[in-house]
Amino acid sequence: MRQILFFCLLSTSAFSQSGMPGVFSSARDVGSPALKGSAEFSEGQYRVTGAGANIWAKQDQFQFVWREMSENFTVTATMRFLGQGAEHRKAGIMVRQSLDTDATYADVVIHGNGMPGLQWRSKPGEDTNAFDFPFDGPGTFTIKLVRTGVRIFMYMAKSGNQLKEIAHTEVSFQNPVLVGLAVCSHQADASDTVIFSDVSVEAEAPLKPKSP
Amino acid sequence: MRKLLFITLLAISALAQAGKFGSFTNSDDVGASVLKGAADFDSSTGNYKVTGSGTDIWGKSDQFHYVWREMSGNFAVSAKAKFLTDGLTHRKAVIMLRKSLEPDSPFIHLAIHADGTPAVQFRNTKADNTNTVDFPVEGPGVWRLKLVRQNTTITVWIAKGNEPLRELGHTSTQLGSPVLVGLGVSSHSQAATNTVLFSDVSVEQLQTPAPTRR
Repeated sequence: MRQILFFCLLSTSAFSQSGMPGVFSSARDVGSPALKGSAEFSEGQYRVTGAGANIWAKQDQFQFVWREMSENFTVTATMRFLGQGAEHRKAGIMVRQSLDTDATYADVVIHGNGMPGLQWRSKPGEDTNAFDFPFDGPGTFTIKLVRTGVRIFMYMAKSGNQLKEIAHTEVSFQNPVLVGLAVCSHQADASDTVIFSDVSVEAEAPLKPKSP
Repeated sequence: MRKLLFITLLAISALAQAGKFGSFTNSDDVGASVLKGAADFDSSTGNYKVTGSGTDIWGKSDQFHYVWREMSGNFAVSAKAKFLTDGLTHRKAVIMLRKSLEPDSPFIHLAIHADGTPAVQFRNTKADNTNTVDFPVEGPGVWRLKLVRQNTTITVWIAKGNEPLRELGHTSTQLGSPVLVGLGVSSHSQAATNTVLFSDVSVEQLQTPAPTRR
């Protein structure tokens, strides 16, 4: 039997922190978007506003709400865009090596038009790789990112349906990594606001050494 | 104008193909596995029996058997793949686009692993690491694979058994034209070969959309 022990230390710490957003420790813009982003945590929801050209190609601009983590973990969130915006504005859960604009990353995102994507930059300054999945329009989505070694798994459900595994990719990070929520407007002169609710961050306990 | 003519010629030649390898023109081992691969085309059934050896199509360099033809522009390739021999879980059958026959060439493929894991895998630049998107395992069986290139967009479909084709999604590639298009088989081991039967193979040149006026 696989001995995996999940502990939710983070959901309790959400209420012991004041000022900074919930289970995460910090919020800031990555890549200096022309418009400043922001993040608020209240009544169990994250209201994240981000601008920026894109999270794409060789460098990124977006608002990032994050905490540091090591080893394996699972992050889940339910998200919806507020108001109108660019078709390819995007929001989701990101694992990132650093706050550098061209850092190695992997994310599971939903675009403004409802298109889900799994994206990653394998090395700093490289082009982003992406795989986009079939979709049927915008809405409220629950997304889940699981890191297991080099594997980054994506799960997704639309409008309260059962979470389903979609796919996984492989990205090599060094520990620790930054884990959090990302919002990008896909245009320099506009911001987008996304409400993230039911956010959970679970760390997998270190595996006990195998008995001989 | 010159480009248009070129495309038209290709479309004609695609229909006129009826060589040793049917829709394809060549059959080669890529990389140097210990065991040799082979391809048999049965013109009466249109089936291809492709035997490949090799460590994998993965990492920075590949070993597999490749049945291919050169194509440019937009096209659609589909085939049914059935593993005929036993072997390792991650032996694979693929529809591939490849820049060259060099083992570390850029490529993209839609793969079905023997255990029924579909995957889209690609190497962006020569000798770079392979990227992967693995989909949930659905178990072994006969699989239909379809890959379409429209400009830089690669869209893939898959179906197990007699299920209808379903779209897995899309990604983009900078492979350009011309590109080597074909069927690949790797055994995931230099000490083994893997034989795959490809049936209902279709290679179709698609019209290149007219450039939009700006």
